[in-house]
Amino acid sequence: MDFSAFLKSLEDSGAAASVRSSLYYFPFLEAIHVMALAVVFGTILVVDLRALGIASRERPFTRMSNELLRLTWGAFAVSATTGALMFITNARVYAHNTSFRVKMVLLALAGLNMAAFHLTAGRSVARWDRSACAPRAGRITAGASLCLWIAIIVAGRVIGFTTTGAQAKEAPAPTMNFDDFLSGPGGPPRAPQASTPAPK
Amino acid sequence: MNSFAEWLSTTAPSVFIQMHESWMIPAIQSLHISGIAIAVGSALMMTLRLLGWLGTDQTLQDNQRRFGPWLTGALYLLLASGGLLIVAEPVRELVTLSFWLKMACVATMVVVFAIFQRSVRNHGARWEQSLAARPAVRLAAMLTFVLWGCIIVLGRLIAYDHIWGHLSPATKA
Repeated sequence: MDFSAFLKSLEDSGAAASVRSSLYYFPFLEAIHVMALAVVFGTILVVDLRALGIASRERPFTRMSNELLRLTWGAFAVSATTGALMFITNARVYAHNTSFRVKMVLLALAGLNMAAFHLTAGRSVARWDRSACAPRAGRITAGASLCLWIAIIVAGRVIGFTTTGAQAKEAPAPTMNFDDFLSGPGGPPRAPQASTPAPK
Repeated sequence: MNSFAEWLSTTAPSVFIQMHESWMIPAIQSLHISGIAIAVGSALMMTLRLLGWLGTDQTLQDNQRRFGPWLTGALYLLLASGGLLIVAEPVRELVTLSFWLKMACVATMVVVFAIFQRSVRNHGARWEQSLAARPAVRLAAMLTFVLWGCIIVLGRLIAYDHIWGHLSPATKA
C-alpha cells in the first residue's frame, strides 16, 4: 500500500467519518488542542526560563523540571491525540500542506533539541542544579526550545489558513446546529445554511 | 453592534490589516495563542501551588511574585493582540455569541485574579496557614482554572459561531 492509499484509508476510517459528520467535534478538537498546547508551551517556558537564568533562579532546576515535565508530557499526549484526529479527517490535504510539513519537522527538531539538552547540560545537572542558570550548552538548547515552540505555534496556525481549498472538510458543513440539538430528532427540518463563514 | 462593527471595518487601521491579511492575521493569532500559553502556564503554576500539588519549596507569596506579573503581562499581550484581531475583522469577532460569552469569562477571571493577587500580597501568612486549606478556596481555584478552559473553547468557537443556532447573531445576517 503506497502512502497516499494509506492516507485515503485514514480518511475513510470510522473515526474520521464521525468527526466529519459532526458539527461539534472539529471545533472542540481544535479547542482541546489549543488548551493542551497552552499547557505544553506554558510549562516548557517555565523550565526554559529557569535554565536560561531569567526566572525562578533561586529554585533547584531538577525540582522544577521533575514537577513540570510530567504535565508537559501529559498535555503533549492530549495535543498529539487531538491533532491526529483532526489530521485523519482530511489526511491527504494536510499531508501535502507545506505548513503541516514544516510543523512536523519543527516538532522533530524540538525532540532532537531535548535529546541534545539531556546529553550535554542534563548530564552535569547535579553540579549546576542550584546555580542561577544552566551551563552554555543548556542555555543554547533552552533558547532553541523557545524559538522552536513559538515556530510550531505559528506553523500550526497557518495550517488552518492554507488548507482553505479544502475548507469544506476542515469545517464540516453544518448538518445540524444548536436549535436542532435542542429540538431533538423530531424537531422541524432545517434548510442547510447557504453561506457558512469559512472558519480560520 | 452590527453597524459599529461595519463602521470599524472601514477605518484605516482595519483596512490596512485587511490589505495584508494573508500574513498579518495568522501572525497576530499566533501572538494571541502564545499569550494564552503564557497566561495559562502562569495560572496553572499559581493554581497548583495553591492546591499544594507542586512548587511547595516556595511560599505562596513567592510563587505569586514569580508568576503573577507574567499572568498580568500576558493579559496585556492578549488585550493588544485580541484588540488588533477585532480591528482587523470586527464583524467576524463582535457579531458572535461566542465572543461575548468569552468576554464575560475573561472579566470574571480578571476580577478573581486581581482579588487573589492583592490578598496574597497583603496577607501571605494567612493564606499559607488557613485560607489555602479551605475547601471553598480550593474549589474556587479549580473553577478559575476551568474558566481558562471555557475562555479557550469560546475563543475557538468565534470561528464556528453558527453552532449556536438562533442564539448566534451571526446566523441572522
